Amino acid sequence: MPETTKMICCKCNKELEMIKTDFSYLGHSFFTEVPKCPECGQVFIPEELARGRISEVEMQMEDK
Amino acid sequence: MAYTHDLVADCLQFERAFCTAKCPFNLDVRDFIGKLQQGRFNVAYKAYQNAVGFPGIVTALCPEPCRLVCPMKDAGGAISIIQLEKAAMEYARNQDPDEYNMPAKNQRIAIIGAGISGLGCALRLITRKYPVTVFEKSAQIGGHLHDLLPSEVFMQDINRQFIQENYNLRLNTEITSLSDLDFDAIYIATGKNGTDFGAESGRDGVFKGGSLTGADTMQAIAQGLNAAGTIERYLKTGIMVLPEELSGTKLIADAIQIIPGEAVIPANGTSFTRDEALAEAKRCLKCSCDACVRYSPLMSYFKKFPRRITEEVEVTIHPSTLDGNGTVATRLISTCNHCGLCKEVCPQNIDTGEFLLQSHRAMHEKGAMPWAFHEFYLRDMDFSNHEAALTRMPSGYEKSRYLFFPGCQLGASDPRYVTESYRFLTEHFPDTALMLYCCGAPAEWAGDDVLHQKGIEKIKSDWINLGKPKAIFACPMCRQMFEKYLPEIEGEFLYNLMDEEGIVPIGLTDHSTASVFDPCASRNKPSVQKTIRELAIRSGFELEPLPMEGRLAGCCSYGGQVAIAYPPYAEHIVQAKIEQSENPYITYCANCRDIFAAAKKPAWHILDILFGLGNANRIPPTVTERRNNRLLLKQQMLKSFWNETEIMLIPDFMLIISSELKEKLNKALILETDVYRIIESCEQTGMKLFNPETGSFSGHLQIGNTTYWVEYRINKDSGYELLNAYCHRMKIEEA
Repeated sequence: MPETTKMICCKCNKELEMIKTDFSYLGHSFFTEVPKCPECGQVFIPEELARGRISEVEMQMEDK
Repeated sequence: MAYTHDLVADCLQFERAFCTAKCPFNLDVRDFIGKLQQGRFNVAYKAYQNAVGFPGIVTALCPEPCRLVCPMKDAGGAISIIQLEKAAMEYARNQDPDEYNMPAKNQRIAIIGAGISGLGCALRLITRKYPVTVFEKSAQIGGHLHDLLPSEVFMQDINRQFIQENYNLRLNTEITSLSDLDFDAIYIATGKNGTDFGAESGRDGVFKGGSLTGADTMQAIAQGLNAAGTIERYLKTGIMVLPEELSGTKLIADAIQIIPGEAVIPANGTSFTRDEALAEAKRCLKCSCDACVRYSPLMSYFKKFPRRITEEVEVTIHPSTLDGNGTVATRLISTCNHCGLCKEVCPQNIDTGEFLLQSHRAMHEKGAMPWAFHEFYLRDMDFSNHEAALTRMPSGYEKSRYLFFPGCQLGASDPRYVTESYRFLTEHFPDTALMLYCCGAPAEWAGDDVLHQKGIEKIKSDWINLGKPKAIFACPMCRQMFEKYLPEIEGEFLYNLMDEEGIVPIGLTDHSTASVFDPCASRNKPSVQKTIRELAIRSGFELEPLPMEGRLAGCCSYGGQVAIAYPPYAEHIVQAKIEQSENPYITYCANCRDIFAAAKKPAWHILDILFGLGNANRIPPTVTERRNNRLLLKQQMLKSFWNETEIMLIPDFMLIISSELKEKLNKALILETDVYRIIESCEQTGMKLFNPETGSFSGHLQIGNTTYWVEYRINKDSGYELLNAYCHRMKIEEA
């Protein structure tokens, strides 16, 4: 996520921080740091991450 | 999956070329000429030398049986393999045989007769380091070659081939009894009218060959060379197995794509220059059965024959490691359009498409097929079979003779295709029932047997309740599905019925020359292919054929719903199909029509022409509009034919989306209804994020297995304004 993008959790009114988050796909688990509300854990996946690295890993898992 | 090995058992991929099958030496001409085509004269020569033993003698005496069977003989002239063999010799860097560093063997072999067959056997055996003694009753070697060639010609070749190895030559030594010889094996090649000492070939280490057995010169050499292998096998295993007679080839002439080209004649009248040899080599078709790879878009794109595909699929379904690594063909399995062309063009009727379908099922059952490849389409099928479904009989009837089954995508493309067709049908056959439902193809393609069966059972029970009417199909794929899974339901094409009932096409004003694009599922339905052409001509069109039509009809890319599994392949197929002709297309599958139109190829559905509905450039509806069209169709049908007006099915919500963003959503297969649902969820739960820089909100929701993200603004007056949406397959473990 670009340094400049600042996101606020509307539920907790907290700024999102880069926090380790778990993901899973096709029986495989991963973790990486993504913007996340330090209080309620709501995450933000920016489009460039979804269409970039996440998409790449998805394809790797599909072909594994 | 016991089907795998049966599938490729009859594959002709590795069948010998016609010329090779006629060659006494079984020369792999495809390999030899392939090397020449690359200008690799030296390695081509080595291949030739290895096959024939004595290249100089063979090129001088071979009667070229290969010429008689060359498919090019009527397409510019048979390939002159013998001239190419001479060129390989002439332009090879080094004609001497290679020296092999192998351990010396201690079994001794006697060869009786120093004719060319005996020498051939000796050559092969001494190359493998067996001590060989050749007994010759006369004072010279060469046998009957002395009657055929000047001795300096063949002696030069013989001397060259034996340059690396020695054998014990006993001239002027006549053998009168095999019992005089104390050897581990004996090859008797005493020539025409020679003695065989009453021995039976293949017993007690004694073998016979050459002119003694009636062989001609080429066969005599080949037998000598092959006898060495037989003797070595006997010495190693004690098993006396005579060389297997290679009998012809199963290759089929019709499977060869002939590319005519005039034979190259040596300018000097005798031998090829290097360039002439290259030109002649390039005429060679290297005959092999490759119809599947030439025609099947899948096999040609991946450059894989059925054998390779079955091997890869096999290890994908049954991976050799516990973690499932090496499942190399998951995406390949999901990329088949199931158009049936591979089976159609295969001379052995190998149905690789059906194999991939079964494989898809096996992967689905194991839970090993990525859900993402088919989730969107299965949700769409579910929509067709629930919100948009409608099965009705016309009021006042208890039984129907006909059932119109338009298929889910016809009304999705344009509801009028269905309303106008049904109007026509009920005018001619007033008891015609209607079934807006999915034929089950998406579930079949996804390998989801349970879901597929459920849909089939529903159709069947509805059909029974309607009085077992004859089904009328607009979509060739629906008809194919019915024939495969509901064979008890008799079917007919809408277009054939329209033709029989004498429909007067309303036609179009902008018609011109066009080409009919036969949907792949029409492949075995020549009558509907003919009807469509007749209807188009009656509507004022002039038609030009496409290279791939009729029985060679290919998929537009929709079949198998492969676009998610492998988008570049789907795009490649669309381009290949639209580039077949510059003419606009007329088709009779709504998916073909919309896929071509989306790629800016002017295309009509035949119903556009018959009912005067649309132009060939009509932009196909987005994925959201396709759903809305189905709801609209259901509503219109209920209103027009059953007088039910109170239903309002189309979702109506306050959501502003720019046209650019609508296109993006369409390409990403994101439904606007889903977008609205996510925003509503964000607003109701408060689970949303605020971007202070843009003043926009972001939020996400997992629908099915897919996680969707939306970015939006709230306008007090106009509701929500969508700024962006995207999705990913990876699940966020938020708990």
